[in-house]
Amino acid sequence: MAAAPSKTQILSLYRQLIKNSKQFTNYNFREYFLRKSRLEFKQNMLQQDPVKVNELVSKANEELAVLKRQAIVSQLYTFDKTVVEPLDTHHKKH
Amino acid sequence: MLRSVLRVASLRVSSPSSAMAMKSGAIVGSRMIHYSMSNRTPGAQFQKLQPIRFYSAAASNLSKDDVLTRVKDVIKTFNKNTDAEKISLETAFNKDLGLDSLDTVELLVAVEEEFEIEIPDKIADDLKTVGETVEYILSNPESN
Repeated sequence: MAAAPSKTQILSLYRQLIKNSKQFTNYNFREYFLRKSRLEFKQNMLQQDPVKVNELVSKANEELAVLKRQAIVSQLYTFDKTVVEPLDTHHKKH
Repeated sequence: MLRSVLRVASLRVSSPSSAMAMKSGAIVGSRMIHYSMSNRTPGAQFQKLQPIRFYSAAASNLSKDDVLTRVKDVIKTFNKNTDAEKISLETAFNKDLGLDSLDTVELLVAVEEEFEIEIPDKIADDLKTVGETVEYILSNPESN
């Protein structure tokens, strides 16, 4: 069985999840994936069991693949901004 | 990084022979062939094209104070409870701001967005204080 992933690897995985979640153009999807990534990592922060950690990491990797694909798909469609989103940051970036 | 410099300068046709005209035309495009055909006088000169620089090659001119203020703003947006006045270059993410490793990662992603840079994983793992982050931003030529 593979050794438990290092802290660096897990942080890198988390970084990628956050970065890819932010790619979503739709506010609801974006916030949902950010929330989900944060919650799942925080919940399992103190997980010591290497078998469990491996399981969680491989699950997160699968989800990252889905996230990457869906983030691109989401960019193919335009969405209206919701009222809770600040308009100025949007204008600054585009 | 896109730094395109047009170097089509001092293009000169010294010989009126069509072979030469074809040769120079082949490099620049069909329009040039047409132009050289109609100018068969010996020593005809093309108008000298000035090099054009599309993007500034100068290093980013961010001042340390500016960077610190913007990093402070990012931290404030990230964690509303933080007192921005207390943030200095010595402020440590973990000890002073109470951020765990996951929060630090998220904060650095926000910093990356603010300055339009990418912090490599290895460097990001070593950034523990506001000062180190500011130094890295200043050392990165792409930050703005």
